[in-house]
Amino acid sequence: MTITVNGEAQIWESEEITVADLLTRNKVEKPEMVSVQINSKFVEKQDYKTKKVVAGDEVDFLYFMGGGKAR
Amino acid sequence: MKGFSSKAVHGGGAVKKDAHGALRMPLYENVTFEFENARAIQFAFEGRSLGHSYTRISNPTVEDFEQRIRLLTDARGVVAVSSGMAAITEIVLVLAEAGANIISTKFLFGNTYSLFEHTLKPWGLNVKYVDMTRTEEVEQAIDEKTRAIYLESIANPQLQVADVAGIAKIAAASHIPVVLDGTVTTPYLFRSKDFGVAVEVLSSTKYISGGGTTVGGLIIDNGNQDWGKCPRLQEAAQKYGPHALLAHLRRELHRNLGSCMSPHTAYQQTLGLETLALRIDRSCENALTLARFLQSRPEVKAVNYPGLETSPYHELAKAQFGGKYGGILTFTLTDKEQCYKFTDSLAMIRRATNINDNKTLILHPASTIFCEYCAEEKEGLGVPPNMLRLAVGIEDVGDIMDDLTQGLETL
Repeated sequence: MTITVNGEAQIWESEEITVADLLTRNKVEKPEMVSVQINSKFVEKQDYKTKKVVAGDEVDFLYFMGGGKAR
Repeated sequence: MKGFSSKAVHGGGAVKKDAHGALRMPLYENVTFEFENARAIQFAFEGRSLGHSYTRISNPTVEDFEQRIRLLTDARGVVAVSSGMAAITEIVLVLAEAGANIISTKFLFGNTYSLFEHTLKPWGLNVKYVDMTRTEEVEQAIDEKTRAIYLESIANPQLQVADVAGIAKIAAASHIPVVLDGTVTTPYLFRSKDFGVAVEVLSSTKYISGGGTTVGGLIIDNGNQDWGKCPRLQEAAQKYGPHALLAHLRRELHRNLGSCMSPHTAYQQTLGLETLALRIDRSCENALTLARFLQSRPEVKAVNYPGLETSPYHELAKAQFGGKYGGILTFTLTDKEQCYKFTDSLAMIRRATNINDNKTLILHPASTIFCEYCAEEKEGLGVPPNMLRLAVGIEDVGDIMDDLTQGLETL
């Protein structure tokens, strides 16, 4: 399937992946400081391992620099 | 690592390691940061990668300071700004829109009152002033346009102490954030998060700077407020969830206002932070000794200090601030002329407007930080003409007492 990650198309063999899989494959820096959005909707950190990403989804990893930490 | 000073000194896992192994975060006194390619700089601007781009928005030395404060407060995040007044301005602007209101303590720092009444009122902000020691007044003042409840941990210079947890409970019922100015207590004396405060603002110019070294401020998001229920942050909450306040500040309001903390200030204030607990302990101890001393003097009409058993706020202050009461006390003489004569007679104590410096400072609030208000307003603000404020430093208490004694003997 094809999904869009930070504006770039990304092809996955599996049809069922999670946000956690995406964070690992994309080697996201300091995952504790990133906000994840799927189709412009915020995803809670506790849902990273269960939240599915499906074909056509647009995923963004967003940082706000300095002084913050995700919970 | 559990202790306040250990965390302040070492920073724990909250701070980044320097590229060269420097034991102290160096002073990054630069404006801009270079990227490998055009896409990398695009991603940085869009917030899709982790990196500093421009010091008005973020800077490694400032970030190091912010992260140490975050560690000490167990907050969701911290934004360091150019002054305490900038911190108050930013938080009011981010929470309230024209036509909305905030509920504020009527016993306010003079410049904060001026900000609300003279600067923000013409832009449409309404402020309802209440006596925060009467929680029923807070409850009655809340309406559908209330965006925040604002108070000071210990009002400066009125030294009033309110039941913060009680106010936070009322605010929580309406999903309204409590914003607390914790300048005179700092997170060392008062962990605002434990009392239900949503956002703490501070003038880090005072205790934290390490002795009146630099002007700065802090906005601390304690991480306990559902920003999705705050009208001005609902859109940001859909994108950033619990980070809505921090993201809105960092990616819009703080960036646009340009009220950033300078890297030099952050460097100085990180040094100050390391000795904060030592200095607060000393000034609190000195202040209590001096308050008792002044109470014993016939020239002094009254002494106001939450550490005195005679203070109506003593028991509450004791419970909230762990048996320490800050470094500010006020006392009254016969009239303004006596205040001036006494002030001019002092030899070691400095005549200056600041608090929580290493030096003991004296000021006549009615003619200085409240000079723009008429007599009735000063009365309402709890600033009579015969009151002096003593901001107690960390000198040897015997020397401060000697100076006060010789000053009182001139009256």
